[in-house]
Amino acid sequence: MQKQVRFDNKVLPYLLVAPQVLITIIFFIWPASQSVYQSFLVEDPFGLSSEFVWFANFEELFADSTYLDAFGRTLLFSFSTAFLAISMALFLAIMADRVIRGETLYKTFLIWPYAVAPALAGVLWFLMFNPTIGVIGFGLNALGYEWNHYLNGWQAMVLVIVASAWKQISYNFIFFLAGLQSIPKPLIEAAAIDGAGPAHRFKTIIFPLLSPTTFFLLVVNLVYAFFETFPVIHATTQGGPAKATEILVYKVFNDGFIGLDLGGSAAQSVILMIIVSGLTVFQFKYVEKKVTY
Amino acid sequence: MSTVTLKDLKKTYANGFQAIHGIDMEIRDGEFIVIVGPSGCGKSTLLRMIAGLETITDGELMIDDRRVNQVEPGKRDIAMVFQNYALYPHMSVYDNMAYGLKIRKKSTEEIAQQVNRAADILEIGALLDRKPSQLSGGQRQRVAMGRAIVRDPKVFLFDEPLSNLDAKLRVQMRIEIRKLQRALKTTAIYVTHDQVEAMTLADRLIVMNGGLPEQIGSPMELYDRPATTFVAGFIGSPAMNFIPVRVDKKGATFPSGQNLNFSVPSGHENVLLGIRPEDIEITTPDLADLTLKVSVIEPLGADSLIYGSCEGMKEDLVVRVRDKATVQEEETFSVRFNQQKLHYFDPTTNSRLP
Repeated sequence: MQKQVRFDNKVLPYLLVAPQVLITIIFFIWPASQSVYQSFLVEDPFGLSSEFVWFANFEELFADSTYLDAFGRTLLFSFSTAFLAISMALFLAIMADRVIRGETLYKTFLIWPYAVAPALAGVLWFLMFNPTIGVIGFGLNALGYEWNHYLNGWQAMVLVIVASAWKQISYNFIFFLAGLQSIPKPLIEAAAIDGAGPAHRFKTIIFPLLSPTTFFLLVVNLVYAFFETFPVIHATTQGGPAKATEILVYKVFNDGFIGLDLGGSAAQSVILMIIVSGLTVFQFKYVEKKVTY
Repeated sequence: MSTVTLKDLKKTYANGFQAIHGIDMEIRDGEFIVIVGPSGCGKSTLLRMIAGLETITDGELMIDDRRVNQVEPGKRDIAMVFQNYALYPHMSVYDNMAYGLKIRKKSTEEIAQQVNRAADILEIGALLDRKPSQLSGGQRQRVAMGRAIVRDPKVFLFDEPLSNLDAKLRVQMRIEIRKLQRALKTTAIYVTHDQVEAMTLADRLIVMNGGLPEQIGSPMELYDRPATTFVAGFIGSPAMNFIPVRVDKKGATFPSGQNLNFSVPSGHENVLLGIRPEDIEITTPDLADLTLKVSVIEPLGADSLIYGSCEGMKEDLVVRVRDKATVQEEETFSVRFNQQKLHYFDPTTNSRLP
């Protein structure tokens, strides 16, 4: 059987891919190359002239302890968000998979949060955790745990992690549920006959069979936490208190648009670009090959 | 070395559908029992109840002298071979076979010894490092069997294990399963819809229909003395011919109005005469029990099947002859029934008349 589509017309195939190529060029290649170019420049304070400085911006970044702190913070934030979102989604998917009555209702409600805009998700949790009027914040304070994410940096971090993870749970949930449902039932039954209890079955059969899904979601969630959580942070802590929640994407914005250090900010976004490319390559290489059975 | 006892075993699903209407049976130690029936007859449900994968609504299930109604599948000391083998795809053949032993906390040496022994019996020693995806259908089947025998269980359960194999391999594996069970002397319960498999494997057969056992007995008992028209039609291929016969004061007549040359059980106005295709022979008109007109001839090589129509009958009569058929299509021919091989059934109850 012939797998490749063949065109007799020589121009048609190029016309067909043209829109996608055009979109990629206009919205990705062009701005990306602009920021690469910009990362080699230093502007004067009034924005009237700029000087080509090669890698000076990058050198400065890696010598800057606030940047390295932000890097560490981003790793903590991303892995915590990914871990929380994945583990909660897996737990919910297992529960939803066991539900017999009202199955669709549960699933619909569990998928819904994905339709909430990240900024709204952030505000939602921000209000719930509000130390004076928020349900959770008030509750924690009433229980004797002092909660104030306006002052406590770690608590602010927990807040943005929870808000970011919550939004991503629905997405992960769909994948896990599909993954669980694609595990043939006789496998579970065979394990039961072999004497494995529910926990052991999960550990030795279900979780390994879900590993391609889990790995895929880990990469997707890391990319999400690295790059798409800007609205959550912007709508809630704005990187504060005292930069406690300033992750790399937020620092790009802060340094570039608030601090007006265009060159330094561009250098930061180039580094982010390299990270996301790396993650994508990693995913394609390993999801396809290593994590299969 | 185990017996399995079913006492009025019943299963009703949550939606009210009753799948099993009560089965009584005592399975002896080392016996090979085959449950056979058409799809939807409850045979798989019954097996899954014995395995513990379906709950038992009513009745008692005993393995040896232990009541196991509420016992977890893993604690019943049974092993099951599934239709699609259900091998753990992420584990090597070795790990697949060792899985149950590891759970039972056997020592590494003991596990290795038992897996290797099972692998030797099934001749899969060379495959132990492979993943199931690298195996052919027949090899997967062997691994599934290996996983069952490695634990040395009290009872083997087979759920249509050969239906995913091609015809040639199926015959080969069928013989191997039989040999293996004979050698290990482990009680086995085997579900199939294939009556040839059922006949060749079973010490005793259960023919099921609509959640009820129609008849339990050895293959030849069922073949020679089917208790109902259902069993008569299900066991044997091609199926038994049924001819409605009217009985009045003058004697018994075929639907065509022709008189029967032999006596039928008395006391019934209508009886169903059953005769297997192999018990009918072509004869000369003066010895004929019935005259038929050929509608189709199916040559099978060693035998031929002749489908003959008879006036007053809806369905063709099937006649099995050795070698090639001596008649042509559209011809009429005379047949004689083997008087020792006639079966009579009550057309209202469908049960056998003595």
